[in-house]
Amino acid sequence: MENRWSSLKEKTAPYVLLSPFLFGFIIFFSYAFIRSLYFSFTDYDLFSVPNWVGINNYINLFKERLFTTALKNSLTFAIIVTTLQTIFALLLAVAMNQKIKGIRFFRTAYYMPSVTSSIVITLIFMWMFQRRGVINYLLTLLRQHGLTIGVFLTLLTGIQLLLVVTEKIRGRPVEYLEPSYIVISIIFAFIVTYVLKDFGIIKLAEVKAVDIFWLNTREKVPSWAGPLAFPRPLGAIMILNIWTTVPTFMILYLAGLQGIPKVLYEAAEVDGAKGWQKFWYITIPQLKHITFLVVTLGLIGTLQMFDQVKIIGSQAPLESTITLAYYVYDSAFPGASAPKVGMASAAAVILALLTLTIVLIQKKFSGEGRDLRD
Amino acid sequence: MKIQQNHTSDINLKIKRRRWTNVGAIYLILLLFSVLFMGTFLFGALSSLKDDPSSWPPTLKTEQLSPKNWIGAYILARQGGGGGFFGELKSGHEVSFQVTYKYPMGIKIVPPQVIVPKRFKGSGRAALELDREFVADFVKIIPVEEIGRISVRDGNQVSYKIDIINPSQKDFDELPLDLLVPYKVDFLSATLSPNRIERLGRVQSWNNLVSGVIPYIFHNHFRVFNENYSRTTGRRLFTTWIFNSFFISIIKVLTTLMFASMAGYALARLKFYGKNYLFVLILFSMMIPGQVTFISNYLVLRDGIFGLTKLFGGGSLLNTFTGLIISGLVGASAVFIMKQFFEGLPKEMEESARIDGASTYQIFSKIMLPLAKPALGALTILTFQGVWNEFFWPLVIITSPMDKFTLTIGLLSFKDTYASGTFDWGPILAGAIISALPIIILFIVFQRYFVEGASFSGIKG
Repeated sequence: MENRWSSLKEKTAPYVLLSPFLFGFIIFFSYAFIRSLYFSFTDYDLFSVPNWVGINNYINLFKERLFTTALKNSLTFAIIVTTLQTIFALLLAVAMNQKIKGIRFFRTAYYMPSVTSSIVITLIFMWMFQRRGVINYLLTLLRQHGLTIGVFLTLLTGIQLLLVVTEKIRGRPVEYLEPSYIVISIIFAFIVTYVLKDFGIIKLAEVKAVDIFWLNTREKVPSWAGPLAFPRPLGAIMILNIWTTVPTFMILYLAGLQGIPKVLYEAAEVDGAKGWQKFWYITIPQLKHITFLVVTLGLIGTLQMFDQVKIIGSQAPLESTITLAYYVYDSAFPGASAPKVGMASAAAVILALLTLTIVLIQKKFSGEGRDLRD
Repeated sequence: MKIQQNHTSDINLKIKRRRWTNVGAIYLILLLFSVLFMGTFLFGALSSLKDDPSSWPPTLKTEQLSPKNWIGAYILARQGGGGGFFGELKSGHEVSFQVTYKYPMGIKIVPPQVIVPKRFKGSGRAALELDREFVADFVKIIPVEEIGRISVRDGNQVSYKIDIINPSQKDFDELPLDLLVPYKVDFLSATLSPNRIERLGRVQSWNNLVSGVIPYIFHNHFRVFNENYSRTTGRRLFTTWIFNSFFISIIKVLTTLMFASMAGYALARLKFYGKNYLFVLILFSMMIPGQVTFISNYLVLRDGIFGLTKLFGGGSLLNTFTGLIISGLVGASAVFIMKQFFEGLPKEMEESARIDGASTYQIFSKIMLPLAKPALGALTILTFQGVWNEFFWPLVIITSPMDKFTLTIGLLSFKDTYASGTFDWGPILAGAIISALPIIILFIVFQRYFVEGASFSGIKG
């Protein structure tokens, strides 16, 4: 009796251990997912009994302008943000991959935007993106000091070239970006620019304050891109999103960088490889699986962008910020009109399919299969 | 021989010099990036102290951070009869205030007109919801006294002493002040810098002369707490939201730790039917956005989980913490992290325990759980951060009353509270900064776990 009891206990153990998780998983994911699928073929409105309408919802979705706008916005957003954040994260990780004192401080500082909530970040950014906000002010400053910056950069390049060329003529081996010369060039260029400015030879440009509407506008940027252009408020959200996600992905890249065997670089140096060659032929291929991970996570994250649209709310026209995720929410809980749960569910299913397709294509394209399982 | 030695030391020097400049360049780049990443926060935090964070041009200069004003605020609050750091205007006390103007040539020197305005606290919706007595109805203004006059190149610098007495029996927590001078008269300085200068410099306006130092510096932060009261219970909303967020985060951290390690262990080490399918399903669920499943989840909670709550005498779970917690007892990614961790542990201890006759439950609780401490640490931080920052799900199921809001949803409501045409950015920024503080503190203390958590969650794909 005792034995049978304990053997029963052993047999049921996995299910008992899993049960609290399964409770939530079955009700709040599996059931919910299937129900969304079902709703997408009905005309449900939260109150009356759902009627089967076949694929009408899907057909109607593509006739609705707000939906196609949302679809386009979501895709543009996902592609641009994922591309840029991957590149920036990689570059930042390479810059951070140093054994110098105080690197911990910098890591903390960089990671800050990633730990705070979307509402905090979005509110701060909304404040900065006001018509009379910090971003426009910085742009104004840039325009005012454009000449000074131009002169400084020209001097910098000139002095650097001069130093390097003289060294080369003397027959010494020297690179164009020799760091000690850069320091000298910076100091000289700074002094000369300062003097020129002090004597009033370079003047501040007389410019009007930059007056870009970042949020409350229907304008599309870049203006030359035609149908590929996206609304400027969406661009503002892109900047915000890249800024918050780059540090997280940088951490992933940093872990990857530390795993690359030193021997590879040493061998390359023996063969006479230059800095960028080492980066291109060793670092990037070695980080291939991390890049796959970063791109996958990036795509999943960007395709479900919702918070920023909701938080910016009426500060920007809806069609300039709307994404698929927001479209789903807005159709299910519209402020004034009746909920269109059928349409919302159909859009949700499309969003899910889109995510899966893109991840699968990405997986095939990059030839990485194991990462999802490991 | 000697020439060669010289040559080597020359090269050594060059290498050394090069290394130093390299390090310098790296620090410079790192520093620039920190300005980019942290500067935004610091600038936001600094501006949240300002009276008007959207003044143009945006500057780093903040009156609230000038020691001269701290001293002024301290002295005035002491005169009012309260403490220097947290002040008030007590019955029978007199506040004495000095101000200096520059009268240009040809402008008649007349003392400023002193007004104690009746000013509503707050702005937007918050202003309408507070009714109270006005200090202006009780205080007495003593006629302005000229205390000094210096003639300068193109005019006169004149200082005045302004006295305000509270002869009533009542204590007040504020004393606003407006000074009105003729056109073209320049305001130079005062015991306390004015909060606003209006009407082309004719009116200098102070929110509260007797606030004391701390409320003077953190004016907007105090407003966040003081101007938002619940319509149903009368409690301070912001404090309630902070408490709500802490409560929900802590409960969810506990359930996640418990249930994720249980499920993770089962998935990693135990054999059962459908294990592989379940695992694939978990991975699948991590790719599906919450917007796909929320309609059904909303309905499930509305109906009290298929009517189950009726058994316990409850009804709808919308607008309840129970609903918020029960729908997110443990996330799929938390289970995934624990599974990965348990799979990485050596099997020997477990096997020998099994030979000794230990049951699965004993092995799990006595052997595996103690070994999982590092993963549980990272999971704690990760979950806390996730729940504290959660936005979408509370937005869907908690709509009223405002007492039930979490901090994120509460902050969203500030956009309505402090908007009347334009935003009153002071309290909005202040609220944002305050609500980010717990996470930032947690992050600074447990930095290692955050980074580990990031790489853990990175594995999920």
